[in-house]
Amino acid sequence: MASIPLRTFHHGGTHPPKSKEHTAERPIEPIQPSPLEVWLPLQQHIGPPATPLVKKGDRVVRGQRIAEGEAGGVPIHATITGKVKPIDKRPHPTLITTESIVIARTEDSEELEFPEDPGWRSISSEEALARIREAGIVGLGGAAYPTHRKLTLPEGVRVDILLVNGAECEPYLTSDYRLMRSAPLEIVEGALAMARILGIDRVSIGIEIDKAAAFEGLRGAAAEASRNGASVEVVPCEVRYPQGAERQLVTALTGRVVPPRALPSAVGVLVQNVATAAAVHDAVRYRKPLLDRVVTVSGDGILDPKNVLAPIGTLLAHLVSFCGGIRPDATRIIAGGPMMGRALPRLDLPLTKSMNGLLILRGRGPFERGFMACIQCGRCVEACPLGLEPDQASIRVEAGRPLETETFGALDCYECGCCTYVCPSERPLVQFMQLAKSALRRAGDLKARG
Amino acid sequence: MSPERPFVLAPGPHLHAAETTARIMWWVNAALAPAAVWGVFVFGFPALAVIVATVAGAAAAEWLSSRALKLKPSLADGSAVCTGLLLALTLPPRLSMWMGAIGGIFAILFGKMIFGGLGMNLFNPALIGRAFLMATFPLPMTAGWAAPHRIFGGSAEAVTTATPLAALREQGVDAAMRLAGGPGSPWAGLLLGFRPGSIGEVSVVLLALGGATLFLRGIIKPTIPLSVFAGVALTTAFSGTLGLHLLSGGLWLGALFMATDYVTSPNTRDGQIVFGLTIGMLTGLIRIFGGYPEGICYAILIANTLVPALNTWFRPARVALAGAPS
Repeated sequence: MASIPLRTFHHGGTHPPKSKEHTAERPIEPIQPSPLEVWLPLQQHIGPPATPLVKKGDRVVRGQRIAEGEAGGVPIHATITGKVKPIDKRPHPTLITTESIVIARTEDSEELEFPEDPGWRSISSEEALARIREAGIVGLGGAAYPTHRKLTLPEGVRVDILLVNGAECEPYLTSDYRLMRSAPLEIVEGALAMARILGIDRVSIGIEIDKAAAFEGLRGAAAEASRNGASVEVVPCEVRYPQGAERQLVTALTGRVVPPRALPSAVGVLVQNVATAAAVHDAVRYRKPLLDRVVTVSGDGILDPKNVLAPIGTLLAHLVSFCGGIRPDATRIIAGGPMMGRALPRLDLPLTKSMNGLLILRGRGPFERGFMACIQCGRCVEACPLGLEPDQASIRVEAGRPLETETFGALDCYECGCCTYVCPSERPLVQFMQLAKSALRRAGDLKARG
Repeated sequence: MSPERPFVLAPGPHLHAAETTARIMWWVNAALAPAAVWGVFVFGFPALAVIVATVAGAAAAEWLSSRALKLKPSLADGSAVCTGLLLALTLPPRLSMWMGAIGGIFAILFGKMIFGGLGMNLFNPALIGRAFLMATFPLPMTAGWAAPHRIFGGSAEAVTTATPLAALREQGVDAAMRLAGGPGSPWAGLLLGFRPGSIGEVSVVLLALGGATLFLRGIIKPTIPLSVFAGVALTTAFSGTLGLHLLSGGLWLGALFMATDYVTSPNTRDGQIVFGLTIGMLTGLIRIFGGYPEGICYAILIANTLVPALNTWFRPARVALAGAPS
């Protein structure tokens, strides 16, 4: 494999310790016991909340639709069989609190069956999109944007390549890796189903080369698909954070560069995560809704790190106890990876569709020591995959002059965290960029209003 | 497990690379240590006294001024010690201790703190200290040279002598090479450091070793030092004494440790090349046409003034747009 030229993006990036060894060789384990309760927030994706179709006391069966998405949204399904508790506000990982349907598990294990549609490969694009929407699929790589909408291109936009993102460049996370190992055919078939919807015949799957077993498995699956006339290439990428960021992966695999603040479709590319592709396969072939997801539970503060398959809505506390519980000196809970993930205050929060990791960490985080002055060492500029200047922007923000930061690229920053990771003065550069961005946007809005 | 326990909420990323500003500064200090120890070895206890006094002056000024200005205590970050050590290494070995201490104090107060502390200064603080001492104590600063001794503490009554560069200016190449020679050949003397000079400038080999350490640690890049050497070579090539110029004086100390100071050097490679060449050429011109046998101190200070302009003219390249749907 050493002879294969590795693809990567052109500028910047960094190499945080991968820390994937804790869970990389742990096959996906379904959570045991099944959760006693799931919380299903009506607001799970970008867009307006869903409307409940059930009420308190109703019996629901796993797989049953329990809320209808608004225009552009997706429906919500019962992920366990049980009774609906009062629908009220519950804590949520990103929305603080939100209206949620709570299902309490009952003893019967009945669930809906989803038989294969034998003609699934030849259904129309409209039908395929409808099945994807019905299945409640959103971007599982973190963005949670409804997948059927992403696959519906605006007027005038043309796409000629579908990229499937298997880079998984965030440290610790191995949920995509394990899925690529256990379900390569589903991922390839899901990708081909999306390609058919888009009317394109070029599919590229990008994987960082440290995931050799996943790479081989997907190559086998792609070769099988290619025998039936489809064109799926599996491309090995250099191990380099943020290889899995959309615009970085587009550059690595196609050589095209997405303009700042534009979507990859601006250069004819659409990117979907491997877990999303697998979910699309299930939806199109079996009309099976998205009920579970694989989440890596890891970090130095968890006793038995694992890759867990759990129903959406499972409480994080239940995930944690399935993984041996947390160490008494654990200090931090992170949803997602350590670079772009979000710190959570508590564990009585539901697993959301886009949560690919749950990290329990010990010790002090980078900012708890405070930060020093910028010494202009230039490490952040070198690490920025866009070639922005977080150092200069941060100095202007500190001096109370955030409106002078546009020239340093504050508006283009997508907050991958490379700059902050490498800053020797431990400056929260991403947050300085955020402050600069919001000040610039506010000023822009004021100007637009006259 | 109690879900009610307090967990820390902080913005991401939740990981940090091992390198910190304090570690960088202490690595620079460590990289200077061999040259400093060698200086004490060849010039004896007076050199040690100058180093101690200068570093103590710088550290005391840092501690007192950050207290007075109600800034966070910053002594532990190593930058004040670094300034004091760098200054000491540019001083003659027989300078009075109190002059060294005053230099260290001045370097911190007027080279750094007056601009707002670490990261804010326009000029290299150590060289501000040196320029101040040159103006205030011109005679001790230019005539306090000692002949090197091989044995630690030996022959306390040092022979006052000239540095090779001063001899080159006043007596010609042969005298300079004789001074550079020490016990062996002149080139070996220049490289290893058996020659009169500032405490830390005499051993090119040990300075290069320190520079290589910083390079391997990813702390400095070769861009600025190589540009400085190129600038010196360009301006002294026709004088017939290129080798002597490249191997003598504080050139290596300045090029490797002072011109590479992050705060007072440009941020982009192109800016750094112009900056380094400017320093090198000014050094050569001062040595050949100017009033000082040495020139790198003023060359760096002058080039420091160009840094804001160089940062404006040479911006990092944004990732260029390329490609479109076929």
